[in-house]
Amino acid sequence: MTNKEKNFISAVVYLHNCGQAVQPFFSALNEQLAAHFEQYELIAVNDGCTDNTLNELRRFAAEGLQKPLTVLHMSLRQGVELCMNAGQDCAIGDFVYEFDSAAMPYPPEMIWQAYQAALAGSDIVSVCPSRSRGLSRMFYGVFNAFSRTPSRLRTEAFRLLSRRAINRVHAISQNLPYRKAAYAASGLAMASLTFEGQAPELASGRVSLALDSLALYTDAAFRLSAGVALAMLALTLGELVYTLCVFLGGGHPIEGWTTTMFVLTVGFGGVFAILAIVLKYLSLLVDLVFKKQKYLLENIEKL
Amino acid sequence: MTFDKIILGAGLYGLYAAEKCGARGQRVLVLERDAAPFTRATWINQARVHMGYHYPRSYSTAIKSAHYFERFCKDYGFCNLTSFDQVYATSAHFSWTDAAAFRRFCAAANIRCDDLPPEKYFNPGQCDGAFLTTEYTYDAQILKKYYLEALAKLPNVTLLFGHAPEGIRAAGDVWQVKAGDTTAEAPFLLNATYAGVNEVHALLGLEPFKIKYELCEIILCTVSEPLKNVGITVMDGPFFSIMPFGKTGYHSLTSVTFTPHLTSYDTLPSFPCQAKSGGRCRPGSLYNCNDCPAKPASAWPYMSQLARKYLREEYGFAYSHSLYSMKPILKASEIDDSRPTVIRQYSGAPAFFSVLSGKINTVYDLDEVLLHDQ
Repeated sequence: MTNKEKNFISAVVYLHNCGQAVQPFFSALNEQLAAHFEQYELIAVNDGCTDNTLNELRRFAAEGLQKPLTVLHMSLRQGVELCMNAGQDCAIGDFVYEFDSAAMPYPPEMIWQAYQAALAGSDIVSVCPSRSRGLSRMFYGVFNAFSRTPSRLRTEAFRLLSRRAINRVHAISQNLPYRKAAYAASGLAMASLTFEGQAPELASGRVSLALDSLALYTDAAFRLSAGVALAMLALTLGELVYTLCVFLGGGHPIEGWTTTMFVLTVGFGGVFAILAIVLKYLSLLVDLVFKKQKYLLENIEKL
Repeated sequence: MTFDKIILGAGLYGLYAAEKCGARGQRVLVLERDAAPFTRATWINQARVHMGYHYPRSYSTAIKSAHYFERFCKDYGFCNLTSFDQVYATSAHFSWTDAAAFRRFCAAANIRCDDLPPEKYFNPGQCDGAFLTTEYTYDAQILKKYYLEALAKLPNVTLLFGHAPEGIRAAGDVWQVKAGDTTAEAPFLLNATYAGVNEVHALLGLEPFKIKYELCEIILCTVSEPLKNVGITVMDGPFFSIMPFGKTGYHSLTSVTFTPHLTSYDTLPSFPCQAKSGGRCRPGSLYNCNDCPAKPASAWPYMSQLARKYLREEYGFAYSHSLYSMKPILKASEIDDSRPTVIRQYSGAPAFFSVLSGKINTVYDLDEVLLHDQ
């Protein structure tokens, strides 16, 4: 191929004890990039590897790699999100690929297809498996239900970002505790490609990350609390109606039932209402501290 | 031929010494292996007249630079470009310095440091601080013209170009230096050959300086209007600088990771490209990288990409051409990033001195050596 793409590409790969996968993954990745791009760089983030991952990587680099390969050695094991943040900060490309794992359950050609999808007008392209694990499905279900972002999140194998998207998410917040949600919340055009198969198993520590991102990017807690308060209010009304009905029917409810139930429902209703107000304030504070920009434009069109 | 002083190398340090001693009436011979003065590192570098900002991890270097800065501007102001905004910025990521530390450092070194909004020049999130500073850039070609004219007025100073020293030996209390068709004698020999410093040591059988050699590329760019009167340096780590290159109208673009193309840790540096130089270059006799047919391909795609990642779009720049030269770095200076001028005396009678300095305005350090015989 003589007409290679002129855009500069960076590929950031997260590595944690995956010695077996390094050689095949980087060979396939390098082959794809070399076939389609004139200029690119590889960035590997070494998150506390203790096996032969690094040796394998050095061996790969020594086998006639023409382009720069940067290895970021993390001081201690920090998990995929922080590591990929570091890799992304280091990347200089116009487009940056993010590989959260060195497994490749998708055909390598999808790397190039993702770029074509980006050129077709998407700042963020994610490549997703057709099947996902039960727990992830549950998380994304909750996340999508409570988040107000235009794009739905899914399990992803890797993604491609434009420099514009990276600048945008950093303009919104300095750190990205959960990149995927930050990209989805950036308000830029997203596209996704699907391949037959399942996503690679990801490193541990995902549960606390899941909770963090639900707190940061959705209003699930507030809505839950407000929902319970409303439910309690509804119950109170229900009891009122029930008690009146019993009275009008000439009967008597069981001694003390009415007062006990009123105390319970009104009390809990009040507690959850106050909790909802507190959570609203807390989420406002999170917004103020965490987000630097209040509104997000996709683009400006003049007619 | 007999002289009071023989100076090896016609870079700034060599010609400074020649003029200083020539003006005092001494007979001076300058031997230069290239066909003209200032063909290597004096010309091919960032052309920065250092105020000290560059060394936030080495106060002593910073304070010394600031001190020499004023003196250099007074003596050589004619070759300086001063009418531009020199902006230093601290990268938000991967930097060994942050904005607060840089402010503290400038206050301690007593050098100018006015806060600018980083968003004025940089993409969001890339830099956590930007500072307007006072620093200049010198034009080596103007400086060269000045020296050639000044030295032409001194009949007691001889400049021999195309003369590389081939043999040096002590005969009584004088050095006998053979270079091409010339054999000269003097009781004082100054080795101001910079990247060639260990080549001269090898001729004399002296212990070499512990040096790492880097083959460096300086890219000269034409720039867009908003960048015309601005110099930008992002520090302190794997970053870049784009700043006016003397009064040439070009900007020089350099980066910490991509400017050095090849590195050698050998005493007499060996590089794979030497085999392709057509016999011009070998360990022990470095050819001028900028004139060499085997010079490496430009790292422009990488350097420009790095700079564009940081700079806002309106600060545009385009490739013009590249300059290559060899840069020796004293091994001790890597951790604290200091670039001290090293002057070593190896013998008294006859006297032999070697000087190695990575900066232009510390040339005054030579004075103590040149007054050696008084």
